[in-house]
Amino acid sequence: MTGCLTLPFPAPVPAAGDYVLTGPDGGLHRLLPADGAAQVDLTAHLARYGALPHRAEPRRIIAEVEAAGLTGRGGAAFPAYRKLTAAANARPTPVVVGNGAEGEPASSKDRSLLWISPHLVLDGLQIAAATTGSRTAVLYAPRNERLHQRLALAIAERAAVRMDTAAVELRDAPGRFLAGEESALASHLTGLPALPGYRPARGLPRLGSGQPVLVQNVETLAHLALIARYGARWFRTAGTEEEPGSMLATLHHADGRMGVVEVPLGIPVAQLLGPREPVQAVLIGGYHGAWLPADQAATLPLANAALGPLGATVGAGVVAVLPADRCGLGETARVARYLALESAGQCGPCFNGLPRIAAALDHLARPRPDRRARADLDRWAGLVEGRGACHHPDGSVRFIRSALRVFAAETALHEQGRCSGTNPQPFLPLPSSPPLAHTDWS
Amino acid sequence: MTGITHTTALWYASRATGVVTLVLLTAVVVLGMLVNRQGRLPGLPRFAVTGLHRNISLLSVVFLAIHVLTAIVDPYVTIGLAATVIPFASPYKPFWLGLGALSLDLIAALILTSLARGRMSRRAWRSIHWLAYAAWPLAVLHSIGSNTDSRSGVMLMVLVGCVLAAGTALAWRLSRMAREVPRPRRAAAILTQMSAPVPLRPASPGRTHETGGHQVTATTAGQL
Repeated sequence: MTGCLTLPFPAPVPAAGDYVLTGPDGGLHRLLPADGAAQVDLTAHLARYGALPHRAEPRRIIAEVEAAGLTGRGGAAFPAYRKLTAAANARPTPVVVGNGAEGEPASSKDRSLLWISPHLVLDGLQIAAATTGSRTAVLYAPRNERLHQRLALAIAERAAVRMDTAAVELRDAPGRFLAGEESALASHLTGLPALPGYRPARGLPRLGSGQPVLVQNVETLAHLALIARYGARWFRTAGTEEEPGSMLATLHHADGRMGVVEVPLGIPVAQLLGPREPVQAVLIGGYHGAWLPADQAATLPLANAALGPLGATVGAGVVAVLPADRCGLGETARVARYLALESAGQCGPCFNGLPRIAAALDHLARPRPDRRARADLDRWAGLVEGRGACHHPDGSVRFIRSALRVFAAETALHEQGRCSGTNPQPFLPLPSSPPLAHTDWS
Repeated sequence: MTGITHTTALWYASRATGVVTLVLLTAVVVLGMLVNRQGRLPGLPRFAVTGLHRNISLLSVVFLAIHVLTAIVDPYVTIGLAATVIPFASPYKPFWLGLGALSLDLIAALILTSLARGRMSRRAWRSIHWLAYAAWPLAVLHSIGSNTDSRSGVMLMVLVGCVLAAGTALAWRLSRMAREVPRPRRAAAILTQMSAPVPLRPASPGRTHETGGHQVTATTAGQL
């Protein structure tokens, strides 16, 4: 175990208060400081990383990002250079957005990065703005007063020394699961509720005014700031050939501890877990990710190349274990209910299907479920998949299907009226009361 | 009533297709309001209501075309091609035929924009589609005014039937609109409806989940 630091920034979700940041063996400290400083101010930031090479040719930066193989760290792992290229060619000049909305309740890495190293994200925002020729940029961060003050201070620090070319505006993201979805973000910046668009976007999303938006996850921007300084070869010294670099991961341990760590892509999942953790299954990729049996997960690297064939993705880097004393179906049913409530209510298959799927799953989580519930679940899952304008129904169905695979033995137990779970305490983090008022999307 | 001869055939054809067009347009308007408020028809899944709305609207175009062409070709009255699209330009009954021409223009806009829907912004398509609420009443007024025998008998009954059907659909649409669940609360509303009381623990094995099981399985795929 490497350094251990306590963050004074209380995570809005879950409302557990402070949490501990620990590094596993093989952990890295590219984005987060190794010495345990809870906040990196501008002086310390410049002392560590050096000045930002501002005047670099935009095309060279994009070529460097392509050579580095940087992918989006918000979950979709889309090649960053392709978005940058599209934005550089887009007319009118796009507005650049650092996306720190992090609607995923099990993930805390973006807000941790913003809290600890905001200047790295702001550097990346400037680089992205420079490659696209934008004079304005937006930092989209969770609605949290302390975080907002912290970020406003960081932006003011930079403005005082006039080091930036693009003016940065701070915007609050509503605390909804889909608030960080690109089209929802564009809608929110336009002044409308942060609801996803009705249609899959072609190219960059656009504001109501027609101005295109380049959306990059805040961690992606932080990596961009380092690639601009140290180059593609340095970036590739971590990670695998296909999936280079490091990533932030949020770990949820069996004893309830939560940690944000920086690890190279491809790190063995076993290395992220404690040596003798009582684990029956591992959730990888968050609530749009997939469950894997503990023994299978322990043999895998944290990389899409290995996880993809098993129906899982690295996603935004959530690795949550299911302790041996919890019921996997019960935990999945709780999350499925949350996911259903987070439907934007726009696409029929999503707002009609997800609640029914959640109710059927809740039924399976109880003793002696009606056998028809399982058949309904399979049928509805098929009817929902691929029929939403955004990825919400697909991601939710992927998560639920993986639970039915991994917890098949548990389903059989429930049919006999028994359950392997001995601890009724909820485990996976969820917002205590899902916000449902219409205004919560704006 | 006189028989159909070579001089009256076109006149009858124009009148008949006009009546059929009005009935079809009424069906399109009623189905359109059903589609808009996510209503259903007995025995039909929701997508079939949308399909019916689209297909009947295309069918009505065929009858509308025959109605207009036979009226032009009919030698009994002189209308002219231009007057069918330019409102109030007809030498014969300029006002009542003008309403028909207006309605035709609006219907053409509705059909063309719907065919090109994939290439338009949703908002533009929607705002043009609102014209349906003008096109249908214009068509009704046109058929009352230009049809001298619509004041009694079967023709009157057809007219009254169309107006009643559209009026009922409009009243239903407005009441549904008033009771509309805001989008972000729709899933919650369905979830509440789905998870009605389910016993936490089985009272006795075998008769455990009758309520819960029924709640879950009583829904059909068509509702998705």
